[in-house]
Amino acid sequence: MTRRKPVNLAKAARTTTFYILVVGVAAAMLLPVYFIVSLSFLSVREAYSYPLPLVPALETHFKLTPGKRGYLVSVYDRIEGAYESVLDTKELQKMSEYMRYQLATPVTIEDLEQQVARLETEDEVYFTRRRNLLANYQTFFGVAGYNAVPALIRSLQICALTIVISLSIGGMAGYAFARYVFKGKDLLKFSVLFVRMYPGVAIALPMIKILANMNFYDRPIGLSLVYSIGNIALTVWITASIFMGIPESLEEAAQVFGASKARAFLRITLPLALPGLAAAAMYAFLGAWNETVAAIILTTFNPTFSVVVFQTVLGSVGQVNLAAAGGMAMALPAVIFTFFIRRYIHQMWGGVTV
Amino acid sequence: MATLTLTHITKRFGRDVVAVKDFSLEVPDREFLVLLGPSGCGKTTTLRMIAGLEEATEGTIEIDGVDVTDLPPRKRDVSMVFQNYAVWPHMTVYDNIAYALKLKRMDKQTISTMVKEAATLTKIDQLLDRFPAQLSGGQQQRVAVARAIAVRPKLFLMDEPLSNLDAKLRAATRTELKAIHAKTEATSVFVTHDQAEAMSLADRIVIMKDGGIIQIGSPDDVYHRSANLFVADFIGTPPTNFMNVELEVENGQCQLAGPHFTCVLSAENAAKIEDHDQRQLVLGVRPESILIVSEDDAVLSAECLVSEPQGSHQIVAIELGDKIVKIIAPAHPVIAPGETVHLTFDQEALAFFDKETGLRI
Ligand SMILES: Nc1ncnc2c1ncn2[C@@H]1O[C@H](COP(=O)(O)OP(=O)(O)OP(=O)(O)O)[C@@H](O)[C@H]1O
Ligand SMILES: [Mg+2]
Repeated sequence: MTRRKPVNLAKAARTTTFYILVVGVAAAMLLPVYFIVSLSFLSVREAYSYPLPLVPALETHFKLTPGKRGYLVSVYDRIEGAYESVLDTKELQKMSEYMRYQLATPVTIEDLEQQVARLETEDEVYFTRRRNLLANYQTFFGVAGYNAVPALIRSLQICALTIVISLSIGGMAGYAFARYVFKGKDLLKFSVLFVRMYPGVAIALPMIKILANMNFYDRPIGLSLVYSIGNIALTVWITASIFMGIPESLEEAAQVFGASKARAFLRITLPLALPGLAAAAMYAFLGAWNETVAAIILTTFNPTFSVVVFQTVLGSVGQVNLAAAGGMAMALPAVIFTFFIRRYIHQMWGGVTV
Repeated sequence: MATLTLTHITKRFGRDVVAVKDFSLEVPDREFLVLLGPSGCGKTTTLRMIAGLEEATEGTIEIDGVDVTDLPPRKRDVSMVFQNYAVWPHMTVYDNIAYALKLKRMDKQTISTMVKEAATLTKIDQLLDRFPAQLSGGQQQRVAVARAIAVRPKLFLMDEPLSNLDAKLRAATRTELKAIHAKTEATSVFVTHDQAEAMSLADRIVIMKDGGIIQIGSPDDVYHRSANLFVADFIGTPPTNFMNVELEVENGQCQLAGPHFTCVLSAENAAKIEDHDQRQLVLGVRPESILIVSEDDAVLSAECLVSEPQGSHQIVAIELGDKIVKIIAPAHPVIAPGETVHLTFDQEALAFFDKETGLRI
């Protein structure tokens, strides 16, 4: 008989508790994301059914029967397992619109005419059509259409400008803080954080006035300037500690071997600081992309994307699925940017992080 | 191939710190010069001023007769091995070595040849594709040296390039550096605080203290003809033994009288110090210049305190008053602690120093 290892109960209990915790935390983080992703693909009818379907249906099964007012449209309900009547109308135009907007299933009027014609010979007509999964997104960009696409472009402009402004100014300041000794350095470095203490709303009025004077009101450059103020402070701190971690002798070596001071910085220090700069860029991007309050205050005719999403959410109280699509459209660029920049944050040379 | 001339160089940091003061030096072509001194004496600062990384507060620096005092580092045509290597972590070994050559706009083929040559000389030709993080400390140091020799500089500056290596690797690399110098014949300035390293590498040694030059000379000079007590103490392991003595002249014969011995001086030694106006002197004797002799010839006798066998020789420590005196004796016969040893001095190797000024007489 082989001897079995005695089970270490305490250890097993600890491991189990640990994994339960991990799974719990992961679920707490992932479930809302899953919820909003799936919601953004549901049709209006699905979004308001109870219980909420976990995944959107890929096709809709219709049943047509003669109705009191015309034709009775029934839809197969996956959860009930039966057809439920949804509409009784004679007008095919109305029927098609209902199917498109409420059921997210595009069915043309010609198609409906054919199906209705079958009712002459049959009591019940069954047919199945593919769902348009992107319906919510199309509606979101269509309804907010006059706004969403230019707003998206505007938001990206603002983000790019914010990154450029805060990284160039904040990065240079960070370099100075890291490399030079001057009077009042510590106080100055600390005081750049002061600007972050003011809530944007509190100083909105002077901001509007100043931006209007500069002729920057309601323009991307104005907002990016406002966002840069807070981001410069953050960038100074991030880059200063990064530059401090890069030995000055690396730059000096380049100078001895024939590089000018500027070139040594560009070729040696800058690439080594890239992870820190990327992190700072990510902060700047996310801050500028997500910011809504100042954007509402400082724009009128040219809102940013976050403002458009905000308006859609507020304006479509009866349309959670649309709001979800807006939220997704808002989140996606941030996620893409984060994944893209991640490569630089984890910069490695020769398998070892420097 | 270059000469280097420093004229009255002074470097101040702020108002109070004088790192280097009134430093004048001429380094002829092809010389291997070593700056030697205790920590904080201004060696690195001097080297950095030569490289142009630090501005001289006063004085001029000339390379090949051209005043470079105000030129930026890249216009001085020097190369440098940094104390902490300073190899660029985001470039491969090849790129590290090639970077300076690329800046000189050489064509790819030439660069490749020169990189390989430097790498072969420093024995890192197998490592060209690696990043510095994948190298040992000793290999990184070789990269730093290869990078510095690849550019064929007029002037080759090295700041304690061996300080981070283990003893064995350090000795081996030392030999290699000397061989490389013999091959490249570049004028070299080497900084170290390790006197053994200085002795084995240098054509001439500059001994520094508190930012100034104490002595310039060949390894032989500084060892056997130390300019003052500081140098005699700093150079050599174990260091010179110092004893306070009084010079007595009795019926035409000079002799030294210490608390523990009296020693009749040879005619040459007597002639050297007879005219000195002070009678109180410091006698300096190298450990190998104290000889173990028979009782009859002994100047002094003492009990062995400890003996440290070194293989080829042994170091015997005796106590004279409150001072420990160390003697280098042949490995055999082994001297045991407690054993009485009879000693005399090698008259030719005695050094005398003024008690007040510490200067050699
Ligand atoms: N940037 C600086 N600011 C102020 N003082 C400095 C600076 N650099 C060096 N010093 C001072 O100048 C003196 C000489 O320094 P240096 O680095 O040249 O010494 P070193 O001989 O190279 O010493 P080590 O053998 O420890 O490397 C020291 O007292 C040091 O404190
Ligand atoms: Mg130093």
